[in-house]
Amino acid sequence: MTRFSLFVAVTTLAAVATARAAELPETIKQAGELRLTVNSTYAPMEYRDPSTNELVGLDIDLASEIAKRLGVKIVWSETPFAELIPSLQTRRADFIISGISDRGSRREAADFIDYLTTGPQFFVLAESAAQSATDLCGKKVGTTRSTSFPIEIEKWSKLTCEAGGRPAVQYVPGENSIDVRNQLKQGRIDAAVQGSETLPYAQQQEAGKYRVVGEPFSTGYQGIMFRKDDAALREVVTHHLAAMITDGSYKVILDKYGLGANAVRQPLMNAATQ
Amino acid sequence: MRAEPTLAAGFPDISGMTVARRARWRRWLAAAAIVVVLAAIGRAFANGQIEWSYVGRFLTAKVILEGIVNTIVMAVLAMALGIVLGVAVAIMRLSPNPVLRSVAAGYTWLFRGTPLILQLLLWFNLALVFPTIGIPGLWSGRAVDLMTPFLSALLGLGINQGAYTSEVMRAGMLSVDAGQYEAAQAIGMGRLRALRRIILPQAMRVVIPPLGNEFIGMVKATSLASVIQYPEVLHNAENIYYANSRVIELLIVAGFWYLLVVSVLTPLQMLLERRFARGSLQITR
Amino acid sequence: MTRPLVAIRSVSRSFGEFQALKQVSLDVRAGEVLCLIGASGSGKTTLLRCINQLTSIDSGGVWLDGELLGVRQVSGRLHRLAPREIARQRLKTGMVFQRFNLFPHKTALENITEGPVQVQGRKPEDARSDAMLLLRRVGLAAKADAYPAQLSGGQQQRVAIARALAMKPMLMLFDEPTSALDPELVGEVLSVMKELARSGMTMMVVTHELGFAREVADTVVYMDHGAIVEAGPAAAVLGSPREARTKSFLSAVI
Repeated sequence: MTRFSLFVAVTTLAAVATARAAELPETIKQAGELRLTVNSTYAPMEYRDPSTNELVGLDIDLASEIAKRLGVKIVWSETPFAELIPSLQTRRADFIISGISDRGSRREAADFIDYLTTGPQFFVLAESAAQSATDLCGKKVGTTRSTSFPIEIEKWSKLTCEAGGRPAVQYVPGENSIDVRNQLKQGRIDAAVQGSETLPYAQQQEAGKYRVVGEPFSTGYQGIMFRKDDAALREVVTHHLAAMITDGSYKVILDKYGLGANAVRQPLMNAATQ
Repeated sequence: MRAEPTLAAGFPDISGMTVARRARWRRWLAAAAIVVVLAAIGRAFANGQIEWSYVGRFLTAKVILEGIVNTIVMAVLAMALGIVLGVAVAIMRLSPNPVLRSVAAGYTWLFRGTPLILQLLLWFNLALVFPTIGIPGLWSGRAVDLMTPFLSALLGLGINQGAYTSEVMRAGMLSVDAGQYEAAQAIGMGRLRALRRIILPQAMRVVIPPLGNEFIGMVKATSLASVIQYPEVLHNAENIYYANSRVIELLIVAGFWYLLVVSVLTPLQMLLERRFARGSLQITR
Repeated sequence: MTRPLVAIRSVSRSFGEFQALKQVSLDVRAGEVLCLIGASGSGKTTLLRCINQLTSIDSGGVWLDGELLGVRQVSGRLHRLAPREIARQRLKTGMVFQRFNLFPHKTALENITEGPVQVQGRKPEDARSDAMLLLRRVGLAAKADAYPAQLSGGQQQRVAIARALAMKPMLMLFDEPTSALDPELVGEVLSVMKELARSGMTMMVVTHELGFAREVADTVVYMDHGAIVEAGPAAAVLGSPREARTKSFLSAVI
């Protein structure tokens, strides 16, 4: 993203945040709880620990810390990825923190407070012959079909493969990131694409099985989604998130999941360029 | 001398009186109430947060039409497989041979005892268990190349259907009068020929209504194949709303097509029922 | 003494606790018309069904045309025949059932040609012309294309007789052929059976129609509780029975 737009995003946010003391909306204060919903198939952002079946993840930790600072508890629920935005719109959730990318097409419905850098990343089985991203032109590449990644792959393919006279990438849909990794293991696809934030966990789970290829082929942000009319809630959450970044607790949580490199320096609003 | 019976007094002749119609006002009241409720529901939908322009736009979109064609193709093929398996298994189940009986019972138990979606996922991910499969000496290949979404869906749906169809067929065959089998035996027919020529054709009359129902169920069961990437209409509708977030509108589009297909199939099933009642005095309306 | 067409020797059959046949022995000569009479449960239907092996026997033997039915004797032990052989043995007999058992999804003509074409491999055209002859013989040539549901009980039974005859059996078995018929339809079936007897067919008939037995049967066999009580020429058994049980049965049914 350009320096200028970054500057605008930061100053807007700073202005808004300091304009008045951030206050929790009445309804939430009364209830004493935040209702949040996640798509818990996305390690390490949110997932069920296989041994304890507990809901854990980076988003869970961040949200819990924010809730602690707000003095409320969280009531968690789970939903498929495609239901996250509808959950926000129907007010089933107060805000969405669920490994969801800030994208222009999603800003019609909501505002994003960006809290983590991300980007789609190619990875292959360790024994694959592919060394650089261009080796994947003409190959079968899979990703979760309900995400924005299929479009990202198509864009990348047009730009990098077809423009360079190479055959286009063959996109193969998958239901979720586990399904995609299964297809990679079976050889139904030659490479897979996931958000770069998920790869350290996958590699830790199955050590030595996967290998990342190239760099994330586009950069973006994971954002916390708020309804457009929910400015008060958005501001108070942003205020506490900024505080967590300043006092280091944000970095501690990120490092716990091996994602220290994906940190943002301060919360940004609607900063992604996609 | 009169041959008519003698009659006691005190019972008037009312043969000239006609029966008055019962007051129907209760019926009209109920109908009016239903109309009011339906109108309210209709109005709620019209005023709800549904962007009907999206429904209109995608109703005949190319991928949706391809999707419904794929739905129908898969439903027909899987049902055909299910019927073939069902007949074979039903015959095995009624065989005097205990080995055949046990195999048939085991098949039915296994495929009726596990959820269809689980079976579909297993077929699609077969290569996780058997990376290579083949017929020894003849051919071998990668399981993942063989188990395409199409074949996985066909096997998953068809083999599962066979377990249910076999029970329907077995009930149908048992419903045929035992004397029919004896008459066939009396003219020297063996068991299989008697089944084929005499029992099964008669069983069809009993079996068509439940099979017709099963087929309608199959049309909708194909939607489960969306999770193994078979491009039927729900899968394609999902892809659209994954991109534009119009969940309800696209689900209405898919739902419309399912309703349409089922509405066409239902009278066809009636026609089929009538054809198989040939030879019986009870011609259904 | 010429070899009997049917030789039944010490045949027994039980259904669980109930003994349906107790060591029954009987001879039937070629061309003979034999009527089996007795109360229900006496074993007469069971005996009939042992001859075309719709019911298997527990012990004893049935020989038809010199061939032991259902089993093969190999060095002192009996081995059950394969289903295919049993089916072949059934071709020698034709059976007419109490409830007709016509195939409802086939026309009268198709009912009759089914066996010859499917089992005996005869050409459809030949089977059809023979079937028409049989229909004429039983007086139903006009009903060739009717379905059983469109025929009266008496007509159905006559088609059933034609169906059995189409297989050209050497023995016809009748299991209470008129018991399920309305009284006014009984006569037409009995006259077909009488014509059949006159033509020389060997017939075993389980029946309650004593008038028919008196008129047509050569032999009458009275059974009770799974055993033959009395057997002999029709006039003798029906007119002057020797056994007390036969006498009381006959006086009860007259």
